[in-house]
Amino acid sequence: MMAVIGRSLVAMSRVDPTVRAELAPIAPGFVFRMTVLPDGPSFAVERTAEGVFALVKDRTRRAELTVIFKHLRHAFLVFSFQEGTARAFANDRMFVDGQVSVAVRIVRVLDRMEAVILPKFVARRALKRYPRIALADKLALATKAYGVTALNLLRGR
Amino acid sequence: MSIPSPDKAFYEFYCPVKIVAGLAALEHLPFELQMLGASRPMVITDKGVVAAGLYQHIEAAFAGSGIAVAAIYDDVPPDSSLETVRDAAHLWRAQQCDAILAVGGGSVIDTSKAVNILVSEGGDDLAKFAGAHHLKRALKPLIVIPTTAGTGSEATMVAVITDRKTGAKLPFTSYFLMPHAAILDPRMTMTMPPHITAMTAMDAMTHAVESYSCMAGNPLSEAFASRAVRKISENLLKVLDNPNDAVGRLALAQGSTLAGVAFSNSMVGLVHSLGHALGSICHLPHGLCMNLFLPYALEYNKDVNGEKIGELLLPLCGPEVFAKTPAEARADAAIAHIRHLRDELHARAKLPRTLRETGKVTEDMLPRIAAAALDDGSLIFNPKDADLDDLMAVLRKAW
Ligand SMILES: [Fe+2]
Repeated sequence: MMAVIGRSLVAMSRVDPTVRAELAPIAPGFVFRMTVLPDGPSFAVERTAEGVFALVKDRTRRAELTVIFKHLRHAFLVFSFQEGTARAFANDRMFVDGQVSVAVRIVRVLDRMEAVILPKFVARRALKRYPRIALADKLALATKAYGVTALNLLRGR
Repeated sequence: MSIPSPDKAFYEFYCPVKIVAGLAALEHLPFELQMLGASRPMVITDKGVVAAGLYQHIEAAFAGSGIAVAAIYDDVPPDSSLETVRDAAHLWRAQQCDAILAVGGGSVIDTSKAVNILVSEGGDDLAKFAGAHHLKRALKPLIVIPTTAGTGSEATMVAVITDRKTGAKLPFTSYFLMPHAAILDPRMTMTMPPHITAMTAMDAMTHAVESYSCMAGNPLSEAFASRAVRKISENLLKVLDNPNDAVGRLALAQGSTLAGVAFSNSMVGLVHSLGHALGSICHLPHGLCMNLFLPYALEYNKDVNGEKIGELLLPLCGPEVFAKTPAEARADAAIAHIRHLRDELHARAKLPRTLRETGKVTEDMLPRIAAAALDDGSLIFNPKDADLDDLMAVLRKAW
């Protein structure tokens, strides 16, 4: 599950200008990690010099920003899109270690990803506000980012 | 709409701070230190507190107790730095102290929490503890005696210290940063001038209102927040009219601590996002920034959390007004009451109500303020999403 989210962030950063705009002010080489306590799955992505995300394979590499889920069940709620990222923070399911201003950006990127890849009725449950995004744009971005198979995988079909 | 959720699916609440509140609360200091096994406290404070004669109350509280202040560090600047923390820690070690008494406002309290990290963990490198939950064991005894009634820092697990070399503000978050006790004695806030009284009270009011109406509130934090709103609402104007009202001063101090407990367990929202941005760009005091944005942010959020805002009409205006106001009109009535309160604060303490009235903000600064607010962590907990255009719209309303 975490690996899929990591790959999705990378894919979104390559095809979606909105995501790239969010990444623009972040320093190149900045590593963002998401992890699950006590020693659960995790992924890390690096903001590259080209302004996109790339997966970081080295699990020991220091991250400038880590979002830590307190339990696997909490991570599952978020990444099965039953609970939005902001709501999960508000429900004390996870916490931020590192630069909070970047965490705010990452939350927006995750929201954007959900808006793009999920059917509207699912995304609306997880997001504070469904973005102004035309269905055609959404489908174009989603298929560019994932292809149909990956999309179905994410939707759990 | 998914927000606000009627039930809190999951939450945490934590407040281990002992509160000692009352007319002679300071006199309990020796007892509280004894209970913590300490006898050589170091006072951390600032020049303003000493100049106002407040330190004398601390000294007097120890008279005849067999315990005396072993060292006093009174050099805390308004924006505390790594150097300040290191200097204070050196003094603590040189004088072989065994506890810290923080006597002051937000900066003094943050400094004291950070000094406690160094004197408990050893070494001089505070920065390596920056971030969330890096401390793994209890620190030395820390007792806070607030001299303002606003920040609520006596009840929070956060300290922010500036790294002068990079200009970065380093946040430290740990349950172990929470003080062992907070002592609320009206003598310590009695001499606050009207505009500081008003600004700090509006900071506390904002903590309570945002804690209650934003995403991370829970049944326990709501109880604290609601009571805080009532204490502040009932006493702020009374105290401004009669600054020597000890009971009113004590109520404001309690309101501030109640609000501190509340927001420490629920975070804040849009008012703080905009306020942090404005404060850092235009160098305006935090409490003033809260006063400037509170009604406009509530207005913005109202269509998502109007019910919660409406519930605040009860602690703001009392049961008669609440009962007379139809449910669907309560949010507007609560916001109108806050606006009215601001008018009164303007009349009594010259507290600006709009960005223009501050005389320190120009219209061309608004886009920068909006951009900075968009990166502020509190925005995550605001019940209604806000993008750059939304933030600009709120700023223009507050202009
Ligand atoms: Fe505040």
